[in-house]
Amino acid sequence: MNLIKRLGLLALLLPGIAWADLDVVATTSSTGALVREIGGAQVTLTILAPPDRDTHYLQARPSMIRALRDADLVTALGADLEVGWLPVAIEQAANPAILPGRSGYFEAATQVDLLDVGGPADRALGDVHPAGNPHINMDPVRMAEVARALAERLATLDGAHAADYRARAEAFAQRVDERVATWRQQLASPPGAVSFHKDVTYLLDRFGVPFWGTIEPVPGVSPTASHLRALINELQGQGQAGVVLSTTYQPEQAPASVAETLGWRQVRLPLEPPLDADGDGYLAHMQRWVDALAPGG
Amino acid sequence: MKRSLLGAAVAATLAVPLPASAADSADTAEIKRMIEQMKADYEQKIEALEQRLKATEQKAETAADTAEDAKQASAASTAEQKRSGIGALTSGTGFNPKMSVILDGNYYHDDADGEGTELLGEAFRAGAGHGHEEEGGGHAHGGADNGFNFREAEIWFGATVDPYFDASATLAVDSDGDVELEEAFFQTRALPAGFKVKAGKFFSDIGYINRQHPHEWDFTDQNLVHQNLFGFNLADTGMQVTWLPELPFYTLLGFEAFQGDQERFGALVEDEEEREELNIDDEDDGPRLFTGFIKVAPDLGYNHALQLGAFVAHSTQSQLIGEIDEEEAGFDGDQTLWGLDLVYKYDSPRPHGAGDFVLQSEYLYDQKDLKLTAFEADPSLEGRDREFTTDGWYLQGWYGIAPRWQLGLRYDVLGLTNEAEGVGGNEDFDESDRWTLGLTYRPSEFSLLRFNAATADIVTNEDGDTEGFDYFYLQYILSLGSHGAHKF
Repeated sequence: MNLIKRLGLLALLLPGIAWADLDVVATTSSTGALVREIGGAQVTLTILAPPDRDTHYLQARPSMIRALRDADLVTALGADLEVGWLPVAIEQAANPAILPGRSGYFEAATQVDLLDVGGPADRALGDVHPAGNPHINMDPVRMAEVARALAERLATLDGAHAADYRARAEAFAQRVDERVATWRQQLASPPGAVSFHKDVTYLLDRFGVPFWGTIEPVPGVSPTASHLRALINELQGQGQAGVVLSTTYQPEQAPASVAETLGWRQVRLPLEPPLDADGDGYLAHMQRWVDALAPGG
Repeated sequence: MKRSLLGAAVAATLAVPLPASAADSADTAEIKRMIEQMKADYEQKIEALEQRLKATEQKAETAADTAEDAKQASAASTAEQKRSGIGALTSGTGFNPKMSVILDGNYYHDDADGEGTELLGEAFRAGAGHGHEEEGGGHAHGGADNGFNFREAEIWFGATVDPYFDASATLAVDSDGDVELEEAFFQTRALPAGFKVKAGKFFSDIGYINRQHPHEWDFTDQNLVHQNLFGFNLADTGMQVTWLPELPFYTLLGFEAFQGDQERFGALVEDEEEREELNIDDEDDGPRLFTGFIKVAPDLGYNHALQLGAFVAHSTQSQLIGEIDEEEAGFDGDQTLWGLDLVYKYDSPRPHGAGDFVLQSEYLYDQKDLKLTAFEADPSLEGRDREFTTDGWYLQGWYGIAPRWQLGLRYDVLGLTNEAEGVGGNEDFDESDRWTLGLTYRPSEFSLLRFNAATADIVTNEDGDTEGFDYFYLQYILSLGSHGAHKF
């Protein structure tokens, strides 16, 4: 075997040495968008969960374990959203740098204040997570906070580009501020909303959209006829039209029939931005939700 | 820009009321200087105010959300910190390990007078010997009577020990209250270069289904191959080293050394008198059982996942008391098993597993390489070789027919090769096989109801007598406590 071949093999085996940039693995495309926005050209990004899947129910697949094996940083939404698979995948990846508690582990939920914190840890109430509602990707303001924290973390891992990371986070936060101001006007007199699952809570809360209930009786349990009847009766009592929200991986039938019975608008959108989204891609994704929520949208 | 506009406005407002006919130039200069001073002061103050305003705006966003939480949190923390002056400052129960309890029970019925599960665990294998292996693969793992059965309550504890180790223990309690230690091991966290070391009692990682606990299976009972070659699965006391190299796709290499305390694979003649009588060696020092495995998984994107594996297990000692021409014969030697495994999964974006598809298959080839140690009928044959070979495979698949519903089918066969060769002549035995149909419903992530119906043809002896029977299970699995792990 000649020397060139050997060197080629070496380069293949040691990508960590061959390239100077940070290898970042994001669980979802929303944290991925932040990584892309803040990390810029200094990071290579792998996203573990595609936007059309329910991030709570994935399996720790071998390809995820492989991606985590040589990651410098893993970014998760956190608060138990990925509890079924991320801890297993990290455990099997044999990469001490990304264990929780090390600087290579970044959980967005620990950077901001969460909603729905506390409550009884009783599964009669469904797949509850007393640590708080993990779907912070639906709140642009919190995501801007997360972006700032992410910039600090990237700065820790790669001090040479610290100023770039911070500047990009500030610029992103400013764009978020501008958009949020517009969206507040757009949602000045919002309709009330019901959602399939409590996964749009942060969006509704941010813009003061009244939240009137969920289609599933308790988290993680399929809708029952009696629950839907009760919900519809209650919503008819609101005396005002609203909007029925669901995400693309949730069952279509129940939200559609609730919307039809009430004569309300139905909105069905992905919970996560496209795989290739950056900061603007994320804001465009949120724009779709705001447009859909806005009266006449 | 905003700031300088404001500053100019203030300055202008101040400047306007001044009498244009101010007496002398000294006064004018003084006044100008004062104005400049005031202007600068105001600019500074306005800037400070603006900054405060901006900060307040930012805070106000989250303040409303957090105010209530903060109030509660501070109330709670002051309550916690109230000191009585007696008692000890301790973290109390805060360091409890994560735990879960899994209840696994069924209603079972077969048309073999309730002997079905025993037959399934005793399908005839070449060189199985008689009377020296435990019957039926243990009651806790798969034995069922016609009627209600409680298979086990699996109690799991797990925690990170310190920055260097994770550890867990799994206990299975059966309906009689008998407790079996299924697994208890620790594993390293901080080794570099993709290495991990595990030690304790644990399920071997060879193949795919071997390391799964019964509640993780896609069918109620174990496949015929693992059930008969290992008596359930290969589990033992020992240690494991795995290496996950930085190759372009997932590749896991593993090596295990076990004590070799097995009921079937590398089984030994336990009775000392019999050993002496048949000239069979004493038990060697452990470890006597070694395995090696490789798993490879190309990256096929988000929808598809494929894992291929190959493995080998070798026991340095294997003994049995068998027969040649219906005369007792003692055998001693070693045993080697190799196998292949394949798992393919399709992940559909439809809700709750609808449209998902899984295909899983393993092939195992088990060979005892023994010497005749004692044969009273013809001692001249002693020292000659005899090989016993049994193989088998299973193929199973399931499809998510609707959200939370899975329909599955399995075919498993033991003894396609089922033969004895060498001293005493060559013999070829029949194969046992089975078809299983399964329907699984998961009301939530924490509960499962399953119907399994099977038809089996099990060879019961060397003459090829076959017992054909049908059976069904209605099974429940309930998971309490810590959120389960979604292993591949």
